[in-house]
Amino acid sequence: MIRFKHVSKIYPPNVVGVEGVSLHIRPGEFVSIVGKSGTGKSTLAKLLFAEERPTRGTIEIGGWDITNIHDRDIPLLRRQIGVVFQDFKLLPMKTVYENVAFALQVAGERPKRIREVVPAVLKIVNLEPMTDRYPRQLSGGEAQRVAIGRALVHSPKVLVADEPTGNLDTINTREIVDLLKKINEFGTTVALVTHDREVVNALKKRVITLEDGKITSDVEEGRYKL
Amino acid sequence: MLVSSYRVTRFAFQNFWRNFWLSVITISMLVLTLMTVNILLLLSAVTQQAIGLVEDRIEVSVYFHDSVEQETVDGAVAYLRSLSQVRDVETISAQEAYDQFVARHEGDEQIMASLVELGENPFGPTLVVKAEQAEDFAIILDALENPQFRDAIRDKDFSDYEQIVERIRSTTDRIRAFGIALSAIFLLIAILIVFNTVRMGIFIHREEIGIMRLVGASNGFIKAPFYLEMVLMSLIALSVTLIVLFPILSMLEPQFRVYFATESAGLLAFFTRNGFLIFGLEFLGLVLVCLFSTTLAMRKFLKV
Ligand SMILES: Nc1ncnc2c1ncn2[C@@H]1O[C@H](COP(=O)(O)OP(=O)(O)OP(=O)(O)O)[C@@H](O)[C@H]1O
Ligand SMILES: [Mg+2]
Repeated sequence: MIRFKHVSKIYPPNVVGVEGVSLHIRPGEFVSIVGKSGTGKSTLAKLLFAEERPTRGTIEIGGWDITNIHDRDIPLLRRQIGVVFQDFKLLPMKTVYENVAFALQVAGERPKRIREVVPAVLKIVNLEPMTDRYPRQLSGGEAQRVAIGRALVHSPKVLVADEPTGNLDTINTREIVDLLKKINEFGTTVALVTHDREVVNALKKRVITLEDGKITSDVEEGRYKL
Repeated sequence: MLVSSYRVTRFAFQNFWRNFWLSVITISMLVLTLMTVNILLLLSAVTQQAIGLVEDRIEVSVYFHDSVEQETVDGAVAYLRSLSQVRDVETISAQEAYDQFVARHEGDEQIMASLVELGENPFGPTLVVKAEQAEDFAIILDALENPQFRDAIRDKDFSDYEQIVERIRSTTDRIRAFGIALSAIFLLIAILIVFNTVRMGIFIHREEIGIMRLVGASNGFIKAPFYLEMVLMSLIALSVTLIVLFPILSMLEPQFRVYFATESAGLLAFFTRNGFLIFGLEFLGLVLVCLFSTTLAMRKFLKV
């Protein structure tokens, strides 16, 4: 599904984001990416959805070489990769429903399809009773569920979550992780960047550890170590 | 496609209203630019009208000796008519000249008495030659030096309108140069203001644009509202210009009518006759300038 070959990302002038990263994530896998602050986890995530381009090496997603992806193809890629962030990135002036619908609107989807997809997605993330609330009326966990819902509207093959639980307490964190697991069970490949030892240990899934931009360990059913 | 254009339109209107005052400033500048251009056009129309009026009055009166042969006069008329610079030749026969003179001096006993004393018609035939343009004047005078009838001509009478036309021309040319410079400056300011408006729009919507990008909105979808907003502003600017311009024209029209002593000063007529062309082209030009400026702003501030 995802294949990195000797990927380096050097930010100008010479800050190392990641260096010499090679990895292969199979379809339907759930991978946690861990590491200290500033070790290149977010850089790795950004390379996945083409927010950054690699300085060296090649990146392939679903057989598509996105190493030198053209600007006008990025929207196509983004519709196949859902992204979720620590700060939710919701539009404050739009309701829960509108925030989720927005992702379909900007992709030019028909209203009929939007009316079908949005409620279905809101059901998956368990937000049906709150469709008319605004982001400021939501808890952190609920807001993150809206963001996940929005990431799911295009039925992406890959979901990239960069510290989605960074702003949440334990209970909300568990809820979000359970949701990600559920999405993964439906067949979506999930890449979860996290700091949270509990989360990683409870997951019992593959763990990739980064240090100074390099992969120092890659273990099936790994545990958080550092 | 239809759905997208509806959404793009809604985004565009949102941009417009959220930066209401910026929109007002932008439109004002566009109106100012359009107004200067239209005032320039108005100036040309007035100049054209004034020069036309003066040129209408340009004529050379050619007086023949009373002894002249009719043949010579006819030859002169035919020759003058053949000149491209000549618009019209009016012939006044000796008898008509006499009658006109009598009619003009009917009340003046002294003149009438001396005319009677002469006993015969002292007038020769007269030609009134009208030129196409003021510049043609000299050529016509030259033509009258033709040896075929030079000696039959007693006198030539003309008023030098060329100078008047020249003066109108040089004055309006100077005003026009000033107007063009002013339009150019306004246009430049308009471009800068449009540029800044788009920059502000991008800045205000940066969060929204960032999210659009993340969820896979195409570049076209992100940019289209800004373009559409500018087309909208151009349209409003043109409407405002029309609303301001026509009352001004209606006010000026009677004034010029008096000044030119004609039935119509032709200002309103000029703008109504060529309205579609003039305002169509102005709108097109404005839109192109705005789109150009918008493209520049987006290239600079809307990095992918
Ligand atoms: N846009 C950028 N320009 C320059 N340097 C950058 C940029 N983004 C990240 N970096 C640098 O690249 C390195 C890796 O950053 P990255 O954000 O990937 O770390 P991270 O592992 O996500 O950290 P954290 O856990 O704090 O989020 C850091 O040294 C950072 O300063
Ligand atoms: Mg990070």
